[in-house]
Amino acid sequence: MTPLAEGRRRDWMKYGFVGPALFVLIAMNIFPLIYSMVLSFTNVELTGGEYRFIGTLNYKIVFRMAKYAEALRTTALFVLLAVASELVLGFALALALRPRFKAKAFVLTLFLVPMMLPQAVMGLYWKLVLNGDYGVFNQVLGFFYLGQPQWLTDPDLKFFSILLIDVWMWTPFMLLIALASLNAIPAYIYEAAAIDRASRWTVFRRITLPMCAPLLGLAVLLRATDALKQFDLVMAVTGPNDGATQTLSALLYQVVFRDGKVGLGTSYSYIVLVVVIALASVFIRYLGALQKKEGRAAV
Amino acid sequence: MKILRWLFIGVYFCIAALPLGWLGLTALKTRQDSISVQAKFLPTLADQSGRKSVFFSANLDGYRGLNQIYAGAQYTFFRYLGNSVLIGFFSTLAAVALGTACAYGFSRFRIAGAQDWLFFILSTRFLPPLAVVVPVLMMYREFDLQNTHLGLIVLYTAFNLSLAVWLMKGFIDEIPRPYEEAALMDGYSRLQAFRLIIVPKAAPGMAVTAVFCLISAWNEYGFAMTLNNQEAVTVLVYFAGLQGNVQGLPWPQIAAGVLLFVLPIAVFTVLVRRHLLRGVTFGTIKR
Repeated sequence: MTPLAEGRRRDWMKYGFVGPALFVLIAMNIFPLIYSMVLSFTNVELTGGEYRFIGTLNYKIVFRMAKYAEALRTTALFVLLAVASELVLGFALALALRPRFKAKAFVLTLFLVPMMLPQAVMGLYWKLVLNGDYGVFNQVLGFFYLGQPQWLTDPDLKFFSILLIDVWMWTPFMLLIALASLNAIPAYIYEAAAIDRASRWTVFRRITLPMCAPLLGLAVLLRATDALKQFDLVMAVTGPNDGATQTLSALLYQVVFRDGKVGLGTSYSYIVLVVVIALASVFIRYLGALQKKEGRAAV
Repeated sequence: MKILRWLFIGVYFCIAALPLGWLGLTALKTRQDSISVQAKFLPTLADQSGRKSVFFSANLDGYRGLNQIYAGAQYTFFRYLGNSVLIGFFSTLAAVALGTACAYGFSRFRIAGAQDWLFFILSTRFLPPLAVVVPVLMMYREFDLQNTHLGLIVLYTAFNLSLAVWLMKGFIDEIPRPYEEAALMDGYSRLQAFRLIIVPKAAPGMAVTAVFCLISAWNEYGFAMTLNNQEAVTVLVYFAGLQGNVQGLPWPQIAAGVLLFVLPIAVFTVLVRRHLLRGVTFGTIKR
């Protein structure tokens, strides 16, 4: 406590500072969650009208119907593949971009642009690029005699097209964090390794990788929680009702806004929430540990 | 090794830059040229109509066409751009104001369960929009906030608050306490000290926070699409809505619109590039 404590006056003062923000967050997050918990036990529809409580019927439907499990599988695969490829590509790029060179600032800025762009519209634009008949991507492939895959209509490829766009947009995110983690490694450690005549591979495996790991872990968690919500690209590229690309959010949209089954949708969203909250709590614990460590390092 | 490195950088440079370049070219084409089977990647000013070549005659019709009303929309592009600006501006303003005050409270006072509160604030960011949108929609129907700018402004403010609080807490923690303690000694009230000492010192941080809030409000699609179908439609929802167009998507106009739409974002990104890392990691990494 500072010697300037103003007694009781400060007590209400502090709630004046933090109160409004907390009120907005509770009103727009906690309240809707409680409300939708109630709705999930009803047969309420989007068009309104009378509805009644139907017990756990919605939950039973969700657990019985294959498409819900299918969407969970699609999403899990998407998160896994997207985050893994972005991590590997982003880290490799960071290693390549590590030494100083002319125009580095320009190259880096250009690399980072895609992640600031709106996914909803970039997904739309990529449909122009990837179109099987007139898309420029296939014309480039044709030039090298690499075939003409139907990126947007072939059920086996749609998923990977969305993955490709996601990787294009979010690899910069991994690159940004990987570069920061590389820059944080003190040069003397490498000097010591050079004196010990450690091989390049040993240096990479024993110094670079472990020292980057904490921040890369943070990046992976941030990306994973984001990829789990993937909706914009799916909507733009295939629409919400395509079995090959139906993520959790897309299915939720289909059920609630196209089929109008609000009650069913909210019960499904609760199951999604359990998954998200589990992941988020891992993330938050990780962040707490990381902060404590950083704090100690600063002291 | 060195050659491999440059090859890798070069290839990725093409992957990152070419789609963006193609977007710029598409904005200068006619619709015919934009979906031509012979890719047209060299703009000229000469008339190329009817010829099968890599050249196309560049024109500004894509940009001019933004003034048109397309099937599937009620207004021109600029009306929707106005909506995006309005919603982005006011939600950013509110998020930064509330976020700064809240961050100051957590930074300078002892608050019971402060860590738990902060993590609660962060966790709101992880909720998928689609999971909270249904009750919000029901709530908005009750208060007549559906299809209004205010509805989206309130929602985006709440949505961006977690980011604003976390970023601002980092910035305010860095302002040394003796500044305001001296002010309090001199007889300033807590509020005066906040307004006259902290806010000016935290202004650069507030600007950075504002940029990140603006970008996420600007790029938000899930809420904007589900809560609106008339008055407060944003640019992203407008473009996505054109998909049902029977004449096919007006690609040059979309490309031109996207370029105008992302231009402010690109400028802001360059302006805050030194803080980019801080912004995307909720202020956890401070370099």
